[in-house]
Amino acid sequence: MKNFLALLLTLFLGYMIMSWLATNEFFPAMGDVDVTTRVSQKYIERDVNGNSEEVVFGEATNLESGPANTVTAIVADYRSFDTLGEVTVLFVSSLGVALLLGGTKQRRLELNFHPNFMLRVGSRALFGIILMTGIYISIHGHLTPGGGFPGGTMIASSMLLLYLADDEFRAKVKGFKILESTTGSAYVIIGLLGLLLGGYFLENLLVNGVLGDLFSAGMIPIIYILIGLKVGSEISGVIDNFLTEEGV
Amino acid sequence: MLQYAAIVLIMLGLYGLLTQRNIIKIIISLNILEIGVNLFIVSVGFVTDGIAPIFTSVNNSSNLLFVDPLPQALVLTAIVIGVGTTALGLALAKNIYQKYGTFDINEMGEE
Amino acid sequence: MSAILLIVVPLLTAFISILFKKAAPYMLLIVSFASVVALGYMPLEVITIGGFNAPYGINLILDSYSLIGLYIVNSLFFLVVALNCVKYKKMSTILLVSLAGLNGLLLTGDLFNLFVFIEVSGIAAYLITTTNKKPLATFNYLVAGTVGSSLYLLGLIILYAMFGTLNMADMANEIAISGASASATAFPFLLMFIGLGVEAKLLPLNSWTKGILGSSNKLTGPIIAAVYAAAIGFVFGRLITDLFLINISEVLEIVIIIIVIASIVAGEAMAFSSKKVRDILLFSSIAQAGLVVLVFFYGFVGWGVFLIIANAAGKFILFVVANHASDELGTDEVSSLQGLFVNNKVVGVAFTVASLSAMGMPLFLGFVVKMNILGDLFSEGNLLIPGIILVTSLVEGIYFVRLLIKLWYKEDNLPEVKYDFTLKYVVVVLALLLMVFGVYTAPIENEADNLNTISFVEGGDL
Repeated sequence: MKNFLALLLTLFLGYMIMSWLATNEFFPAMGDVDVTTRVSQKYIERDVNGNSEEVVFGEATNLESGPANTVTAIVADYRSFDTLGEVTVLFVSSLGVALLLGGTKQRRLELNFHPNFMLRVGSRALFGIILMTGIYISIHGHLTPGGGFPGGTMIASSMLLLYLADDEFRAKVKGFKILESTTGSAYVIIGLLGLLLGGYFLENLLVNGVLGDLFSAGMIPIIYILIGLKVGSEISGVIDNFLTEEGV
Repeated sequence: MLQYAAIVLIMLGLYGLLTQRNIIKIIISLNILEIGVNLFIVSVGFVTDGIAPIFTSVNNSSNLLFVDPLPQALVLTAIVIGVGTTALGLALAKNIYQKYGTFDINEMGEE
Repeated sequence: MSAILLIVVPLLTAFISILFKKAAPYMLLIVSFASVVALGYMPLEVITIGGFNAPYGINLILDSYSLIGLYIVNSLFFLVVALNCVKYKKMSTILLVSLAGLNGLLLTGDLFNLFVFIEVSGIAAYLITTTNKKPLATFNYLVAGTVGSSLYLLGLIILYAMFGTLNMADMANEIAISGASASATAFPFLLMFIGLGVEAKLLPLNSWTKGILGSSNKLTGPIIAAVYAAAIGFVFGRLITDLFLINISEVLEIVIIIIVIASIVAGEAMAFSSKKVRDILLFSSIAQAGLVVLVFFYGFVGWGVFLIIANAAGKFILFVVANHASDELGTDEVSSLQGLFVNNKVVGVAFTVASLSAMGMPLFLGFVVKMNILGDLFSEGNLLIPGIILVTSLVEGIYFVRLLIKLWYKEDNLPEVKYDFTLKYVVVVLALLLMVFGVYTAPIENEADNLNTISFVEGGDL
């Protein structure tokens, strides 16, 4: 009975929302969006602080925001403050997981099988490849899809592979903590340097260079590498906490 | 259509939250709800025939028709926040299991 | 000094503090004290981040409204920390993050940035409540909070799809320019209202509150009921005045008023029938959260602000005293706390002042605020709402007096509870403030009038 009521309620709510969306004249239909009426148009044209020129790949130099990937320009430059908050959320939840699950634990959880030689060696070979891919994606965040968050998750997934393939393996958790702390502080300090030298928190102080070069976009690749390392070490810490238990 | 699919997912998650009594299933429902919201965010930025908002040697000028990049940036933030809450929820679930020996809220007695 | 430091310095200290566990409580103490002091050196301004002007970049708004909010939240936060930082050493880093999150909530002028800070302070709050040792209650809080913020996010994205901006002031502008009918924005506004309502403990969205506050300790009780409630109240005030009231439809208005009145009435009724001290306090704080929203909703910004302040200071005293007793005795049944104040007269007087102020007796801050709100409502010709407020105040009076008589009533075997010097000092100072401003009302009335006339949309300069 209770389930049936819940079903009715959700069906009703869903119908209401859909019919409201369909009849509202201000809500654009799917795909029918006019980006020029939104703030995003200025992000695409890099025209927030005034830039009348057309943005051309490989030619435009020293734009107000340098990444060729506009999403990165928003995440790590225009709305970088949100990203700082987002990094904090991940930081505090990984800290919370460590706090809730005991923190100082010694023993790995028993796996259902005993990994053989092939699995151990093969996973170590794969580990390097996945790690490299993660770092590559973090570094190229301003040019290609990806960036610090996907890259960091890949770094963490390479750690997960080692944890799953070897029931003896434990990473140095202390190292994760140091990495987490230094990268997080470095992000904030970069922001404070902007405040001190440029007058705005998180202002981009370096030269933006040519749109599309690997060494371009000023601070953004640096910030994205820091985020990649931070996310990687935080999620690795979470994995370690879930795969260990108290005991000798 | 994608927007309606997103609403369906949100409602599915809400239904799960209202009916399920198992902690792990509640976390899964929560995730379905969040995925629904995320899908909705991305769908809001879609432009028919638009291309990914990345300048490359092929799509090399800002006169082209791009999809809206801002929702994509927002959804990145929303996903990461979702990961944080899920990890915390799972850690709490493990704590609850250690305390009560079950994942079923009905079996935990009063509280 | 730029107000951004209020967010950034706690954050930086939090990142560093995980490496120096021993020093972390002292870092927390210093930083929370420094942010109270630093508030005196902040000029009122709009702070642009990254050098990108609103609405394209994120901006923080430090006007007299958010400055008052920052003062009350930061000072109460410092007091909570001063009372608890030795006992809950493990929480130091998390408390630092929650300080950053709360300051962000009060300062931000961007709707999506507000969502990020709701999550930052929310996740910190979930972790702080784990010290209650009730993981199931914390889990319920987490689920409710996450659903609430998801609904807020959904509403905000619908607004973005309709008007193409995320900045609060710019959003209000765009809505006004577009000439959208009130029913066009009703649905996203409702989603955002419900989402924030979960955090602000409004009925029927507050299933988490009983599990958290009903078993709270000396850290979680004051921080959730006083500090977080104050911060969310200020956020609510800003959103209601800046955004919802710009373009509100009648149906939405009725729905919101029904939710709020239900929350006031049910809160008072449940407080009336409760037998535990913490339950009485938590239900009365639900009712007060409802009242705060109602006041903002009728446009009395200044009095809304002072209602939040009176509630926060009062609830701080009540929860600190009650939680200390229940931490020591292991129970909070009124019957087993009888005669608590016979040997603790100082604390008892402070508790009495706080509860008298909460029910709105003359000579205390709560009275001044309630009287002015009632007067303003009457002069607008509104009779229903003042009637409800008066009746609930009467009920509040009955159960608080009943509680006070029990706690002062002398019996043979008195409960053994010792209050240390810091705690006494803190509650007495706060109680004195409630009394001083209850008698010397001129500055408050001036300030309230000032706040009423400020147009908050100013902050967005476009």
